[in-house]
Amino acid sequence: MLVLMLEDIRKLVKRTLDGGKVDGVLALWRENGRVGPHLFVKGDDVSTLEIDPKYNLAAVAILALASGAKKIALIGRGCDERALVELFKRYQIDEDAIEFIGMACSAEQAQACECDIPYPTKIQFGEKVDGVVPNELKNVDDMSLDERFAYWRDVFAKCIKCYGCKNACPVCVCQDCVLEDPMWVKKGEIPPEFPMFHLIRAYHMADRCVQCHECEEACPMDIPLTLLYRQLRQDMKDLFDYLPGASDAKPPLTTVLEDEKLEEGA
Amino acid sequence: MSYESVLTTCPYCGCGCQFYLQVVNGNIVGVVPDKTHPIAEGALCIKGWNAHVFVQREDRLHKPLIKENGEFREAEWDEALDLVAEKLGEIKEKHGPDALATLCSAKCTNEENYLLQKLTRATIGTNNVDHCARLCHASTVTGLAHAFGSGAMTNSVPEIDDSDVILITGSNTIEQHPLIGSRMVKARERGAKIILIDPRRVPMRLFSDLYLQFIPGTDVAWLNGMMHVILKEKLHDKKYIKERTEGFEAFEKVVKKYDPKTVEKICGIPANLLEEAARMFAKAERGSIFYSMGITQHITGTDNVKSVANLAMLTGNVGKRAAGVNPLRGQNNVQGACDMGALPNVYPGYQAVANEDAAKKFEKAWGTKLSREPGLTIVEISNAARKGDVKGMYIVGENPMISDPDIEHVRQGLEALDFLVVQDIFMTETAALADVVLPASSYAEKEGTFTATDRRVQRVRKAIEPVGESREDWKIVIDIAKRLGGKGCDFESPAEIMDELASLAPIYGGVSFDRLDAGEDLLWPVKEPGHAGTEFLHEGQFTRGKGVFSPIEFREADELPDKEYPYILTTGRLMFQYHTGTMTRRTPALESESPNPFVEVNPEDAKELGIKNGDWLEVSSRRGSIKIQSRVANIVGKGVVFIPFHYAEAAANVLTNPALDPDSKIPELKVCAVAMKPLPK
Repeated sequence: MLVLMLEDIRKLVKRTLDGGKVDGVLALWRENGRVGPHLFVKGDDVSTLEIDPKYNLAAVAILALASGAKKIALIGRGCDERALVELFKRYQIDEDAIEFIGMACSAEQAQACECDIPYPTKIQFGEKVDGVVPNELKNVDDMSLDERFAYWRDVFAKCIKCYGCKNACPVCVCQDCVLEDPMWVKKGEIPPEFPMFHLIRAYHMADRCVQCHECEEACPMDIPLTLLYRQLRQDMKDLFDYLPGASDAKPPLTTVLEDEKLEEGA
Repeated sequence: MSYESVLTTCPYCGCGCQFYLQVVNGNIVGVVPDKTHPIAEGALCIKGWNAHVFVQREDRLHKPLIKENGEFREAEWDEALDLVAEKLGEIKEKHGPDALATLCSAKCTNEENYLLQKLTRATIGTNNVDHCARLCHASTVTGLAHAFGSGAMTNSVPEIDDSDVILITGSNTIEQHPLIGSRMVKARERGAKIILIDPRRVPMRLFSDLYLQFIPGTDVAWLNGMMHVILKEKLHDKKYIKERTEGFEAFEKVVKKYDPKTVEKICGIPANLLEEAARMFAKAERGSIFYSMGITQHITGTDNVKSVANLAMLTGNVGKRAAGVNPLRGQNNVQGACDMGALPNVYPGYQAVANEDAAKKFEKAWGTKLSREPGLTIVEISNAARKGDVKGMYIVGENPMISDPDIEHVRQGLEALDFLVVQDIFMTETAALADVVLPASSYAEKEGTFTATDRRVQRVRKAIEPVGESREDWKIVIDIAKRLGGKGCDFESPAEIMDELASLAPIYGGVSFDRLDAGEDLLWPVKEPGHAGTEFLHEGQFTRGKGVFSPIEFREADELPDKEYPYILTTGRLMFQYHTGTMTRRTPALESESPNPFVEVNPEDAKELGIKNGDWLEVSSRRGSIKIQSRVANIVGKGVVFIPFHYAEAAANVLTNPALDPDSKIPELKVCAVAMKPLPK
């Protein structure tokens, strides 16, 4: 099934490239025995194209477009689409520059990421499966405030300040990052100051995290970052009825004005 | 319009993480970690994430430089190369080949190191070739070669996942080998135990089941003490000792003297903690030992390494998956540079230059007569230069003016040379002293291979053309060799160089670019083209046959604290900087984290000195003094201070002691005596 889907995707990529409406197709390829991002251009051997493991390609799309490409296609999953939407809204990518070709994740893929929405709005390949609720989410929700504080203090004690969470995040796009500002987080310490470093990042993710898990996968210490961001996402839903990655709403934390009264529901 | 994602190997530590350099229209703009790589597994440390930043910095050396009347002027390549060949040739002619010496580079590829040692041995005709491995794991190479027959990590990094007990000593693993440190922490979450034995309360202490702090330079004593407990409580592996080792009786006799109470007096480790550590390690089904400079950089470096080997053999932990003796190598290609014979006593693949058969084999392959006389090591070269015995040097990608002990003496040596050529990517403190500076290329501008700490041979791939008029190091070495009349240097590509190496060094016998490019994980020994490589060493039998126990008595460090110099100085590195800072200090994300040198002082010592955190001190040893800010923290023990050696403006190596381990000639960078004087505010 997956093999057939992969063959179909390769065929579509070839047709798309031959069609000449895009400058390239951003996807994954197998080269030198490993799998990573690649911009396929006309004439490339599409039999090297792969769809596993997951690399969120939205951030890579910014680079591919920076090379001067006018329009590219992108083979992606639900989280790629949601990240692209956030990048469109934040003027990082021109919506017209991307032709999104969506794949639904398999049940196994959804489980691997504990993804709550393992499919894009536009599905060209694969079949929609149910979202997954991580077991740990309930465990943490059930903790008392003190227990929860201790839990996060302990997992963040593992942080080696690689900034991988920030670097891997497709929607972390600020030129100057407050995490690097000594006014907020003391420099040169491992682990970085708790809770400042991680809570600053968590709040900045609140109205933009698309649950792609790139931060967690980039974390050498397996800190369950998406768990924290998922809870914030829920708060955003409850407070503003806002879901990052949905195309119809402006991000509330970047659009609410200083003297504006916050109301429940958008 | 071009966007490319180029798979290559990180140029910092020896973990060997791979990532994709992100190249947009000829500019490297970022990295994406490789999610399918067995070490990186999609993650990197902060240095890896920033490994592209220094590559295209404006202050890269773009053109050859020739010094005239004390000032550098730009020159064309031909002029510079002709001058280098003329001067090196002149010195060889007048004073003989042993008046020349070369330093290879643990930053360069295997192919480049192979060529440079070949140039030194075959074209110049001396074995005076060494590199910074002398300063880090020379004693590992001598110690483990003696005990096991092979001086490298016995096990591969992914095996950490299956270790039961991980003993870490003299390695600040989380800061210096982050992707190995994180692996250890994750192994512990799955049930492994971690024993940390270190003079500094390094970040790993948060994840250790036992932490033992000891006085720097007393490693042999606590190692013997642990083994004393294991023998006394009959926790040793009798069957293994009988079947696989020799020399046990003499060893046992020595260890008997080191009861935990005696050891406590020498090392400062409470007897009960030492006993607990001994039991915990001995009872492990799979016990692995990881160590680094804390073990090696002593005048007893070889003794320390042999003692580590003793402990592993005593508990039957060598030649087994997820166990073993694992020296963590500090540089991306320091393992490879050693493998390539960038050492004065061995040809590629650790074949001794003094061995007639080996010498004949290389004479035949290289078509020239070779010297049987082992050459000089780094500190010996520096001493010989000061005395006028070495008159010319060719230094590639090394910065001894920061990295070597007793910098003032290093300077005197380099200044005394008739001719110094330095090949590097930036104007380093060492290059500044050169007569000719050749602009080389970084890892991102060439093809080749690095060998990671676990003997993992990996490809380095060209992402961009060499910046400015800089050239790949292997091409420069060929240009010089040819001008000196060297034979056998008509290589068109690094792949061809690897092929020649593979034909001469049996441990690389089956390594080729084709296999690596097909994605094979090759950990040496890779005996022949069909051989899959070796995950862990000494299975069934040691490389040398039987493992050798060594009876090792504790000896004190060369320079102990006294009234005049009452503190022990130990040196090391930080997470956010790297070695002499040539790359990291040019990378804002790294430099901004740790921009300033400091001396770490125990709070009790600070109180006695009457200083507060951040106060300025003059730190002096018998060799020199530096002015530096204090960092008061409960990391070093009382009576011990720590200075990272990255910073030229307060270089720790102005203070360090160049006393050498007699076997490996590694200097005692981890212990010297210093005095501290608060400076007026």
